[in-house]
Amino acid sequence: MARFTIIGERIHCISPSIREAMDTKNPEPILKRAKEQIDAGAAYLDVNIGPAESNGEELMKWVVQLIQENFDNHPLCLDTANRKAIEAGISVYNRSKGKPIINSADAGDRIVNIDLAAANDAICLALCSKSGISKDNDERMMYCQEMLERGMSLGMDPADLWFDPLFLVIKGMQDKLMEVLEFIRMCTDMGLNTTGGLSNISNGMPKHIRPIMDSAMLAMAMMSGLTSAIVNPCDQRLMETIKSCDIIRGDTLYADSYLEV
Amino acid sequence: MPFTAKPRKFSAGIIEIPLGVGQNAVTIGGGNVLPLYYFDNPAKNPPAVGVEITDTGVEAAGLPELAAYYEGANTPAERAKKAAAMEGADFVCLRFEGADPGGLNRSVADCVAIAKEVVEAINKPLVIAGSKNLEKDVELFSACAEVCSDKNVLFLSAREENYKTIGASCALAYGQKVGAESSVDINLAKQLNVLMTQLGVQPQSIVMNLGSAAAGYGFEYVASTMERVKLAALEQNDTMLQMPVITPVASETWSVKESIMPESDMPEWGSLEERGIEMETVTASACLASGCDAVILRHPTSVKAIAALIAALL
Repeated sequence: MARFTIIGERIHCISPSIREAMDTKNPEPILKRAKEQIDAGAAYLDVNIGPAESNGEELMKWVVQLIQENFDNHPLCLDTANRKAIEAGISVYNRSKGKPIINSADAGDRIVNIDLAAANDAICLALCSKSGISKDNDERMMYCQEMLERGMSLGMDPADLWFDPLFLVIKGMQDKLMEVLEFIRMCTDMGLNTTGGLSNISNGMPKHIRPIMDSAMLAMAMMSGLTSAIVNPCDQRLMETIKSCDIIRGDTLYADSYLEV
Repeated sequence: MPFTAKPRKFSAGIIEIPLGVGQNAVTIGGGNVLPLYYFDNPAKNPPAVGVEITDTGVEAAGLPELAAYYEGANTPAERAKKAAAMEGADFVCLRFEGADPGGLNRSVADCVAIAKEVVEAINKPLVIAGSKNLEKDVELFSACAEVCSDKNVLFLSAREENYKTIGASCALAYGQKVGAESSVDINLAKQLNVLMTQLGVQPQSIVMNLGSAAAGYGFEYVASTMERVKLAALEQNDTMLQMPVITPVASETWSVKESIMPESDMPEWGSLEERGIEMETVTASACLASGCDAVILRHPTSVKAIAALIAALL
């Protein structure tokens, strides 16, 4: 029923311009990428500040306030291994346009991020692995259950846990992709929300191939019930695919100009 | 087991659009529950009832009760005053039946003079409906929008073929409200709203006219369209379908055979006027139940009945 949720991935400290902007507290590159992604239709913006061990708390607060003040409290996804930085980000987060997302918990050491989400009424991305890549869907489902039980025992709404099967890279793990799709279907059948870093599947492929491969994977994943993904919303082919799949799934009403809205 | 009501309020809502100005203004839209589900959340603005008069006044012919109501009112402005005073009336709709080039072909200048007199004569918001001739309405609306520029008038309607000129003149140039009319086609309804907003018309200036039919004349398509529009607006938070819906009921129901066949031809059907009132009342109540935010009616008996129905459900 709900439209596919696009989490924009382009505010990421791996990008040199964003890295530098975060180091020097220069708002411009961050605001530029925020605007591009919001204009392109990102419902959430991922804010990845990296491990940020020394100044994470202060940096996350700065980025959260910077983006929300400039873009009408646009919802954000707080992405760092530094838990204190996530807490600090949530402390200044304005939730009038949507709850914060914590990126992310797993069934291993990072399971405590579910506690953090529960304590702060946040959404939590839940990676279905413990240490390394799950070997099959039985293992993924076991971790999924563990995290679901943990969240529910802390009073979370199951809809606030978005399960990530981990989109595996085709160049190297081509035989695993159908399994990933099947896992999404299993979660969908349980009524759970799902998400993930989609573009990982096309890692290492030529630049012109990646949007094609990502779009095909996304369409197949949406067929399996995927409810969200962390993607580059400025990838036109991918966005056209998402909007078209939303129409086919009946989540948006068709109009001739559907690609423009 | 005891029954526990679970109110179904949506976080998305229908846009509120005021018609008219000052103390005489009426606001339509603004709800966030399914049609008439006021037990889930009280109505912000109850559905509005408009009273339709035409520039020609011929609609009262053969209808003694209606003719009696307007007795002594010889000009559109006099009829408009009586329409505004009708029990249950929230606004007045002036329909330029006579502007149709296929009929009386009243000139734009004459129509403008009538519109000006009418808008000044009444203390209720005004809706201006055209002749249904695409080219004539463009000219007519633009000229009327100018003379009514500070009255916040709603114009019915812009269609796919003429939305650019009507949207630009009525909404952008003169700040009036514009109806976006589609003919019982949900995808076109959304598309027209997209096109109008791309033109620069604010969603807060658009009222949808999704088209209608008299009950028994394919109304199930109307009901389904209205319901799906409301569901997309509320459940899917579709901002291109959150404009309130207005339905000119009278012009549909007073032209079907049940409402025009003289009693002399069909004595077993009973009074012509009663039949017409029933068609109008039944269709209007079905429109409200399907998600309409305002209906336009003609007969005082229907207006009173529908206003009473709304009041009883609040």
